[in-house]
Amino acid sequence: MLSTDRVSVGYGHRVVLKDVSLEIKPGEFIGVVGPNASGKSTLLKTLARLLKPLGGVIYIDGKDMSKMTGQEVARRIGVVLTERIQPGLLSSFEIVAIGRYQYTDPFGRLTARDRMVIEDSLRSTGALSLSDRRFSELSDGEKQRVMIARALAQEPSILILDEPTTHLDAKGRVEIMLLLRKLSRDKRIAIIASTHDVELAIRLCDKLIVCNEGAVKVYDVPEQLVEEGGVEELYGFNGELTFCKETLVAEPVIRDGGDFRIFVIAGGGSGLLVYRLLSRLGYCFATGVLHKGDIDYTVARSVGARIIAEEPFREISEESFSEALKKLQEANLLIYTSPPIGRLNQRNLDLLSAGHALGLPIIYYALDNHIDNHLGDNRIVHSISMLRDVLEEHKRKSLDKIKEGLSILKTE
Amino acid sequence: MEMANNFFRHRSIFWMALLLPIIPLIVLLSISIGSVSVPLEKSITALMGLGGQDVSAIIINTIRLPRVLAALAGGAALGISGAILQIFFRNPIADPYVIGVSSGSALFIAFAVFMGTSLGIGNPFNPYTLYLAGFIGALTVSLFMIFASGIIRGITTLLIIGVAISYLASALTSILQVISDIERLHIFIFWVMGSFSGAKWIFVNFLIIALIAGFVFSLVLAKPLNAFMLSENYAQSMGINIRVVKVGTIALASFLTSVVTVVAGPVGFIGLVAPHISRYLSSSSDNRVVLPLSAIVGSIITAIADLAARTLMMPRDLPITAITAIFGAPLVIILLLRGGTT
Repeated sequence: MLSTDRVSVGYGHRVVLKDVSLEIKPGEFIGVVGPNASGKSTLLKTLARLLKPLGGVIYIDGKDMSKMTGQEVARRIGVVLTERIQPGLLSSFEIVAIGRYQYTDPFGRLTARDRMVIEDSLRSTGALSLSDRRFSELSDGEKQRVMIARALAQEPSILILDEPTTHLDAKGRVEIMLLLRKLSRDKRIAIIASTHDVELAIRLCDKLIVCNEGAVKVYDVPEQLVEEGGVEELYGFNGELTFCKETLVAEPVIRDGGDFRIFVIAGGGSGLLVYRLLSRLGYCFATGVLHKGDIDYTVARSVGARIIAEEPFREISEESFSEALKKLQEANLLIYTSPPIGRLNQRNLDLLSAGHALGLPIIYYALDNHIDNHLGDNRIVHSISMLRDVLEEHKRKSLDKIKEGLSILKTE
Repeated sequence: MEMANNFFRHRSIFWMALLLPIIPLIVLLSISIGSVSVPLEKSITALMGLGGQDVSAIIINTIRLPRVLAALAGGAALGISGAILQIFFRNPIADPYVIGVSSGSALFIAFAVFMGTSLGIGNPFNPYTLYLAGFIGALTVSLFMIFASGIIRGITTLLIIGVAISYLASALTSILQVISDIERLHIFIFWVMGSFSGAKWIFVNFLIIALIAGFVFSLVLAKPLNAFMLSENYAQSMGINIRVVKVGTIALASFLTSVVTVVAGPVGFIGLVAPHISRYLSSSSDNRVVLPLSAIVGSIITAIADLAARTLMMPRDLPITAITAIFGAPLVIILLLRGGTT
């Protein structure tokens, strides 16, 4: 229904995106992603005929859009833009009624059918209860629902939205994206929405249009972008963020590990919160032995930990064990997260014993209270906040010891 | 929702029904009060054309009636002009004079008054020369602004151009003032101060015809201006020809403002305050309601202000802008503070 043939978009003589060829079908929910200033907005505005294409042809229902009248286009394409509107005292209903522009008489009088369409549009965006409220008094999320309803009141077959989730909080973003997906399904409208929220777009959209460095690439299967490692490439995370393929989440990387070294024995998801805590507090830590594909492995990798890993579904080999032991010997502290132990990872218990033998302080992190108390410096913590307190205490003590050592050296 | 819509519509109809009958009352009051007091029944008979050659009937028919009708029509024109410009420029303090019409008019009048004799373009002491000069001045600026609105994309740019033209014209006018003699200066100041005192039937007819034409055109503009309230891009996305709306708005506003300025000089505050009062009364921003209501409110305020201008310091005529500003300024502030009229 909407297709483009080698369209170039841009402003004036400056081409932003070249040779864009798209084929959009009814009922598709399409996400447009890309870094800032990659031309997402320019592309959408061109598709909505708010900008003239700098080359190529855009077709709607097989007709050249540039040869259509304003009315013909407005009855096919509804638009939601980023600009914030200040419509004075207009109610939500009145705003949506403006969407009937091309259907009403010269004085804008509404017929029964116009009213029906307006109410239906408000209902399908969950904004019917806002009808009588002044638009200016609504929350950002409510405003966005009304603006989508206004676009729907044009009875379009294509809805183009420029960053519809930008001003919204996390819940609002998900709600609007789910709403768009639902509209595309229920009303068989093609929906094209740009967003900065790649994580959501990959999860919810049928297709992705990726704008980057003057080129457009269409992914018929959004997951393919992840598979190709395209997200990191797209956003050029330059080491500060990594995109986690398994969880589809952008992870910040912290690199301020100090002298205080920690070894974590974990596995099966028992260690992931501990990793996050350590990384956030800026500890330098190693962990193992983890099996690749274990969720702990994924998270540890995301936060940039040193990992001693074993191939999936293999018993811990002598090689990995000795590597882990070496790391353990360099550590100032051992954290044991009470992982489930089975045949494949039971050598981790040997690591724990080795820690004992080395006389390392050990913190046992266990959510249930089953683990018995151990001797000496060792502590059991039952919550992540307790773990934080104990960690800070250890760090202080060890720093004191280092200082003591230094002063002894000096006096000698 | 139906109810609410009807409520808003009823509310504006209620105000129109309440305000429209005030207009004949003001007419009656205006023709009765003055340096020569006319009893009401005599005023009524004079209005019906039954006053004969009575002195009071002559005063009413040749001076007071055209004056109050000019004030009513002029006020309505300014109300509409202000309302559409506030929407168009998305600026609550826009008024009919932001597009420079009155300054252009003043400049040309200044030319006629100060340079008229030396340039041989007519006698500066002949009022018709000055009307003509004012008209040409308003027209020149209007045509320039209409032309600019057709080629300039940014609405704010257009607003700045209007303001800049005002300053430019005022600057030239002030230079002319400095080099002129006292007598001519006096005539000039009288002309540009703004007053309906010179209103004659020929101008009243001209004003009323212009107002009717402008009013009808404004009703046609109300629908696209409603869409314009969202934004220019939104309006375009709904298939509205932006250029036509721009040119149409500037043409209508400058046309209405020009005819008032030619007859009465600049009359401040009406175009600013009438739309705010209308939005406040109707508690709506729908231009289909706001534009007619602004016309009614504008005409009522102007007629009352004109009555005050000529009676407060009888037999002196005060400049009408002084009256409208003294009463209008606090009103604008109150309305803005109470909120929600922009």
